[in-house]
Amino acid sequence: MSDSNQNMRPAAPEIQTTSESVAGSEPRMLFNPPIDIYETNDGLVLYADLPGVTTEGLELQVQDNRLALFGRVRNDQDGRAMLHEEYKVGDFLRSFILSDEVDHEHISARLNNGVLRVELPRTQRTEPRKIQVSTE
Amino acid sequence: MPVFRWGQSWDPLLDLEREVDRLLQGMNLTLQGRSSRRFPLINLLDGEDCFLLTAEIPGVTLEDLELTAANGVLTLKGVRKAPPEAQTESFRRQERFQGDWSRSVHLPDRIDEDGMKAEYSAGVLRVILPKVAGSVARSIPVTEGSD
Repeated sequence: MSDSNQNMRPAAPEIQTTSESVAGSEPRMLFNPPIDIYETNDGLVLYADLPGVTTEGLELQVQDNRLALFGRVRNDQDGRAMLHEEYKVGDFLRSFILSDEVDHEHISARLNNGVLRVELPRTQRTEPRKIQVSTE
Repeated sequence: MPVFRWGQSWDPLLDLEREVDRLLQGMNLTLQGRSSRRFPLINLLDGEDCFLLTAEIPGVTLEDLELTAANGVLTLKGVRKAPPEAQTESFRRQERFQGDWSRSVHLPDRIDEDGMKAEYSAGVLRVILPKVAGSVARSIPVTEGSD
């Protein structure tokens, strides 16, 4: 699968060390959430796994041709001894480059049980318009 | 577990080492990272009077979630369905887990299985496992042998 010809592709990973860590607090981890992208008749659908993110903690932005998602996770595991650890608690960040085929004005998103669904409708193709040529 | 070690670190390097380690852990480079296909990922914590199990299970409906405890083993089971209207050939990218899953965890201590409580919100399952009231250490009297 080549990225060059897609309507949408993940942007190059950004090196960002912390998400606005408050002075004195522990630096926060930042993770790349797993995603699905698939095509439908109307455009593209994006799913991202964001466990621990609620609508208040989610920021979704489109700027120029970049769609960025940032999900903040509240760490409520403090003060307890870790006996077995398979995941670290941290925030989620990922961004994507949108092609001109995506109708930037009509992107919609829903967050349910820690899964984000973003609908990226295709722009209506404009019909070729005949231009009358007349002579003087 | 640190994934990056500088060797014999002296103090100024320690910060750098820690920072690089944190960066590397944040990227999905290690087996510990989120790239692992194990699903769901589970943490087990020790509170005062209970254990707390947390699991990242985004996008599961409660009807598809099963939780059982028996003989010191806690089992989580469920199904994560593929996104609707998606056909295999229409995927541009497929990184999210889908299908049946099951995880079992050995509990480190005796727990009060009747007192277990679980809640699921924002894709995170939290199970509270109360410890059985502390068994008091019983001292065994030792008597001197007659011979």
